[in-house]
Amino acid sequence: MKDSSSSIEIREVSKKFGRVTALDKVSFSVKPGELFFVLGPSGCGKTTILRILAGLETPDSGEIFFHGKNIASLPPYRRGAPMVFQNYALWPHLSVYDNIAFGLVERKVPKKEIRTRTEETLRRVGMENLSTRMPGQLSGGQQQRVVLARALVLNPDIMLLDEPLSNLDAKLRGEMRDEIEKLHRETSITFIYVTHDQTEALSLADRLVVMQNGKISAIGTPFELYHRPANKFCADFLGEANLLPGRISGKNGELLIVETSLGSWLAVNSVNSKFAEGTLVECLIRPENIRPYHPGRDTNKFEAVVRSIRLNGSTVTAVLQAGGITLMATLLNEYAVNLKIGKTTQWYVAPENMVAIAEA
Amino acid sequence: MRTRSNNYIMLIIILVFLAVFLVWPMAYVFKRSFIDNKGFTLFYFGSLLSDPLQLEAIRTSLIIALLVTLVSLVIASPIAWIVARRSFPAKALISGLILLPMILPPFVGALGMKMIFARCGALSTLLMNLNLIDHPVDWLGTYPLFGVILLEALHLYPVLYLNLVASFANIDPSLEESAANLGATPWHVFRRIVLPLSMPGIFAGTILVFIWSFTELGTPLVFGLRRVLPVMIYDSVSEVGTNPAGYAQVVLLLLVAAAGFWISKRLTRSGNNISTLGRLSVSREEKKMSPGTILAVYLFIGFVICLSILPHISVLMVASSKRWFLSVLPENFTVEFFRRAVGSEMTQTALFNSLSLSLCASIIDLLAGFTIAWLCVRRRIAGSALLDTLSMLPLAVPGLIIAFGYMGCFSGLFHDHLTFLNPRVNPMVLLAVSYAIRRLPYMVRAAHSGLEQTSTVYEEAAANLGASPFRVVLRVTFPLIAANLLAGGILCFAFSMLEVSDSLILAQSDKFYPITKAIYALMDSLENGVNVASALGAWGMALLAAALLWASCLLGKRLGQMFRIS
Repeated sequence: MKDSSSSIEIREVSKKFGRVTALDKVSFSVKPGELFFVLGPSGCGKTTILRILAGLETPDSGEIFFHGKNIASLPPYRRGAPMVFQNYALWPHLSVYDNIAFGLVERKVPKKEIRTRTEETLRRVGMENLSTRMPGQLSGGQQQRVVLARALVLNPDIMLLDEPLSNLDAKLRGEMRDEIEKLHRETSITFIYVTHDQTEALSLADRLVVMQNGKISAIGTPFELYHRPANKFCADFLGEANLLPGRISGKNGELLIVETSLGSWLAVNSVNSKFAEGTLVECLIRPENIRPYHPGRDTNKFEAVVRSIRLNGSTVTAVLQAGGITLMATLLNEYAVNLKIGKTTQWYVAPENMVAIAEA
Repeated sequence: MRTRSNNYIMLIIILVFLAVFLVWPMAYVFKRSFIDNKGFTLFYFGSLLSDPLQLEAIRTSLIIALLVTLVSLVIASPIAWIVARRSFPAKALISGLILLPMILPPFVGALGMKMIFARCGALSTLLMNLNLIDHPVDWLGTYPLFGVILLEALHLYPVLYLNLVASFANIDPSLEESAANLGATPWHVFRRIVLPLSMPGIFAGTILVFIWSFTELGTPLVFGLRRVLPVMIYDSVSEVGTNPAGYAQVVLLLLVAAAGFWISKRLTRSGNNISTLGRLSVSREEKKMSPGTILAVYLFIGFVICLSILPHISVLMVASSKRWFLSVLPENFTVEFFRRAVGSEMTQTALFNSLSLSLCASIIDLLAGFTIAWLCVRRRIAGSALLDTLSMLPLAVPGLIIAFGYMGCFSGLFHDHLTFLNPRVNPMVLLAVSYAIRRLPYMVRAAHSGLEQTSTVYEEAAANLGASPFRVVLRVTFPLIAANLLAGGILCFAFSMLEVSDSLILAQSDKFYPITKAIYALMDSLENGVNVASALGAWGMALLAAALLWASCLLGKRLGQMFRIS
């Protein structure tokens, strides 16, 4: 029954706050050492999952396993899953050193060991010179390091991160992201990382789950979910998406034939879905996958009028009008030099970049 | 530039007012106790600390203050914790009732308490009827401090309670959650996180209660305790011009109060640093309790409230009965004393004096309090920090000290000029001013919270459309925070109505008596003096209750914020 090859498993967990459903029968499992992301817009229930794992909220129903052991009845202080709080929650009356040593003191670790372990962790996060400071005297990035250290010093198997980068400015965010990546590489800690930022999730995650309104929308690797999303929400949430409606009319080997208003196109299935002939679908085309036509690419070809051009820096985004359909195309600058507003140009999409997903 | 100088003119007027009526009296008291016509001397202080009678008074006052603080802590801590962290039915009503004892004047309650604990009073009779004792006991004679301590603790615990609730409730829940998350048991979370973070609030409340009970004059006076510092000071008022010994006593009182105020200021300052860290991440969910626990909570709070209003109920009984002697409940009910309490010339004058003095004090406070808050919140000009500290000072400076200082400063100082300021000729101006100074912190705080809750965009919009700074205040700021101001004004009025120490000390002849001094004078008069005094007390409480009810309607929950030091 129990799957002890997983580090964390939650089964059919539901939670209501008053009349609001925060989680509706959510199940997933996380492998040991994985950097697992829970991604979703605010209010989707992602923080509730974390708080339930930490024991700070009690689920209305469902089971939670750490290493195959049901821990639903354990109080927070016996879960052994330190959490990095979104607002840091550093105790303002304790110094950096005492904040970090807190958990070791609670575990009745011998004084000498507390000292060595705390100092080692301070060095590890580069805070050894600030150990006597109070949290109020630290910058945001330094506070974040202390919060990480406070959890790391316990040598945990599992660590919970609640939007750890959301209070940092862009530069610090990059540094901390590298720090977390390094931690993931160098330790065997299983991380559960909650965020609303899809670039964070796509760039860091081993696997991720996308949440919507208290339910799991999709689960998989970043690559799968970005390139082959199972549904519209996921397609939209993970990046810019052009959606082209169509109807499946047949098969060409592994590829699907889809009748669209731009003609008969070839497409691939999204993960885990098999569409029967005649099904209405939406086809996802990421803007960077719409390319200027060149000879030899004769499937999924179309003509469109350039409506506007926006320079993003290294890339250019063009808004294209093809019949009644508006598409966004993102191109490298060198391909964009010939574009002119109002000019009709030819384009194509590779079949593997045209993903059929369920219409609703 | 002109508005700038107008701000400074207002600042200076108020600073001068506070300097003359708050700082100078205190400084004068200092000067008189350390400097005589031969220069600096420690003689008076030395004789204060070597006179066994004085030392006994100091010791008794300290014992009273310590025990009152301790009893208040015992009463207030559990109630505060439960109100801050648990949900239970009728919580809003109950947390309002908890504050009730604070507004019941202990001076009046003492009258009733004396009747209950008297040798042939209700308690002795009750215990004799139950065959628990076989002859009447003079409780207050045997345990003279008991009544004072109980009454003051029951009066002051809400002050502590308000500070405690605020401290417990203001802790960011994630600070406790992260402690639990890292392995702290609930008890450890309380000891290592909640308690240290609440310390500033706990200290602030404790020190306030300590200062107030250390300097309380009315209660020991009614109980007939002569050997306590405040009463000794009261007794030395008659020789205030000639004998500097009284000044030394007041300075001692002042030093204790100042030390307390300084400590709590320091603690709350470090507390401010603490609370600015991060923002409240999650809203706190109040835990539910089992029916048994809820019942226990109701019983405890109910018992405390009943005990606190018992003295005041017995005041009503004394006032409405001709005979309460060797019986549990009074007999021979009558309205005669209520009629007599408003029937004599002395009491009518007293009621009129109290009403008009309280009204004047409220108006002074309204103007000064709003201006101070406005300068501090909206203008933040140089000197506004000093203004803020000065205007909060009266919370910690006992009325006794201010009144004693006035007697010293203003009597005989001006020879035949400015006689309206001479308390021996006519104390009315000084009474109104002292009432106003004492209640100024409440008014400043009310205006402060009003201004902070009101966005400046309304004022900016008015200025943008052509209103001068004065017109902006008049047409926008004032109306927007009118409810806060009115409520603050009513509080000032209500507390002035039954003010004790200023009234007792400053009003020396009966045509200037306010209600409280009239009550005190009636107590010793023949022919049912205590009954008439109680009836007058009851009238006073009725006026007070009406005013406070009105204020709480206007101010709602924010009423509580007025009594916190931070």
